[in-house]
Amino acid sequence: MLKRTVLMFTLLCLGTAQAAEQYVLKFATLAPAGTSWMNILDDWAKQVAHDSGGRLIFKMYPGGVAGDEPDVLRKIRFGQLQGGAFSGHGIGLIYSPARVLEMPFLYRDVHEIDYVRQHLMPDIDNGFRANNFEEIGWMEIGFVRFFSRNPINTIDDLRKSRVWMWQGDALGQAFFDATKVAPVPLSIADVYTSLSTGLIDTVPSPPLAAIAMQWFTKTSYVTNTPLFNAIGALLVDERFFKKLPPDLQQLLKTTGTAVGEHLIAETRKDNDKSLEVLKQNGFKFTMNPGDVKDAELFDIRDRAAALLAKSGYIPQEMFDRTRKLLEQYRAAQAQNKPAQAQPH
Amino acid sequence: MNLKTLNAATLILLLTGCSMSQMVVRTSTPMLDGGIKAMNHETDLELAKTAMPASLKMLEGMLEEDPGNGLLHEYAAQGFYGYGYGFVEDDDPRRASALYRRGFDHAQQALRAAGLKLDVLSTRQQDLEPAVGRLGRKALPALFWGASCLAKWIDMNRNDPVLLAQLGKAVVMMDKVLLLDDSYYYGGAHLFFGVYYGSRAPMFGGDYARSKLHFELARSITGGKLLIGDVLYAQYLARQEQDQKAFHDKLSAVIAAPAGLFPEMALVNGIAQRKAQLLLKQEKEWF
Repeated sequence: MLKRTVLMFTLLCLGTAQAAEQYVLKFATLAPAGTSWMNILDDWAKQVAHDSGGRLIFKMYPGGVAGDEPDVLRKIRFGQLQGGAFSGHGIGLIYSPARVLEMPFLYRDVHEIDYVRQHLMPDIDNGFRANNFEEIGWMEIGFVRFFSRNPINTIDDLRKSRVWMWQGDALGQAFFDATKVAPVPLSIADVYTSLSTGLIDTVPSPPLAAIAMQWFTKTSYVTNTPLFNAIGALLVDERFFKKLPPDLQQLLKTTGTAVGEHLIAETRKDNDKSLEVLKQNGFKFTMNPGDVKDAELFDIRDRAAALLAKSGYIPQEMFDRTRKLLEQYRAAQAQNKPAQAQPH
Repeated sequence: MNLKTLNAATLILLLTGCSMSQMVVRTSTPMLDGGIKAMNHETDLELAKTAMPASLKMLEGMLEEDPGNGLLHEYAAQGFYGYGYGFVEDDDPRRASALYRRGFDHAQQALRAAGLKLDVLSTRQQDLEPAVGRLGRKALPALFWGASCLAKWIDMNRNDPVLLAQLGKAVVMMDKVLLLDDSYYYGGAHLFFGVYYGSRAPMFGGDYARSKLHFELARSITGGKLLIGDVLYAQYLARQEQDQKAFHDKLSAVIAAPAGLFPEMALVNGIAQRKAQLLLKQEKEWF
């Protein structure tokens, strides 16, 4: 009897220890507290804590308190953080070929991007894994346009402008090289001041970001030909992800995918609303569709792609697959039926 | 009242363009000054919380009779800000948002009375800047409370691009306050900029050194007796810098501050101590 009681007690203790095992996911984002983005991420944290019975909890570091994206990546590698929401800039530091999704002048609309992404995602996920990250959800920052002090109606106008480029951004550098624009490379922290002093007079940005960063107060024009759709991803350290029991891995992936979709929907809405705000603030829209010939834009795109392929930042094979997917999608659209991707 | 007196009173009313009720309202403003002073001296937070709505409604009632009275609009803007910040926003941000908006509307009326003919919200920032630049000292309280209410209204709605786009205007108004008199309302403009530069990462326009400097300047104006400055330092700058020690030490010191430290601002200090307690509960989550 005594033996049985001891055994029962031991089993109970083991069970309790197992049930109480808690995983803390320290997660950083640049999204400031109180914004739509952060509200969605906070709700995600609550949902995961609830659905896991408290076994997986988030500790959120919003508003860049953990530093900018390279800082966050460094902290993840040192084990101080376990995940974060990254823009194309950070994604490029982890697995740069994913940035084929933000290639300028390649996609006509969000449906094309959605289609291509859906088919490239398994490979992109493998690319993240090979670099020690697990992709939990996909997001968007929005279509990037040029905000300028002077009207930009042609590529020549752009060449005459003092355009900001995110320091060290390989994709941006390839684009400007292909466009023959000499950009002003600056840290994002210096953009507002540099707009005020006149060091730069043009910034590429999605509308919501231009408002949130107050850059719009220093500019009067915005281009109506979107450059590309800026991407983002919710990524978790592979070492942390592998430590999780299968049910928690599944929970993180399922909820993360849904959160990503929610973030994409909200971002698209917020950017549309922001464009309206710009109109109300008297912004003038320049470089309207047709102002620059498609051939000129496509030439820039192809030359930038060639530079990126040459450097290995986005391999040629990735461009070829993307183009093939776009052809399939467009052909299906022309025949008004759902596109079927061909195996590669 | 004899006929002569009545005629004299009528003549004064005609000459000043005042109605009798406006005259009554204007002669009672010294009483309001006393009321505000008494409220600021209040040490019982519950009593202040209960009394403030009635005072605000009385102010709005007086404004019904004298809608162009800039001073009353200034008091109302200050009152809605104080009530929203002190007693509502921690529990009900949505309601606080509406209160800040009302406060801002009053400040806008006060600004009009002080010579700003533009509507702040619908005017482009580029056009607002020179107009605000021309305002004199008379506009100081309206600028201060207008910027404060607008910033808090935006703060309660950070997910709304329409309001986010207005933030630069609050900065324009508060910049002018700094120029006119940086010690106005116990260095409140410095606290505003301490929060403005301390609550955001540098990539979003934050500047921790400038934030610290503004907090220090505000502190020097009251000799550290106004506790809310240290609360804001902890809540925004220390959190943003991930400086847990500063967060903990400053809030603990606020809570331990003696009663009677600053009698003329006892209410704000009481609110600061309550907020410090609430913030300390978040320490584990934030660091």
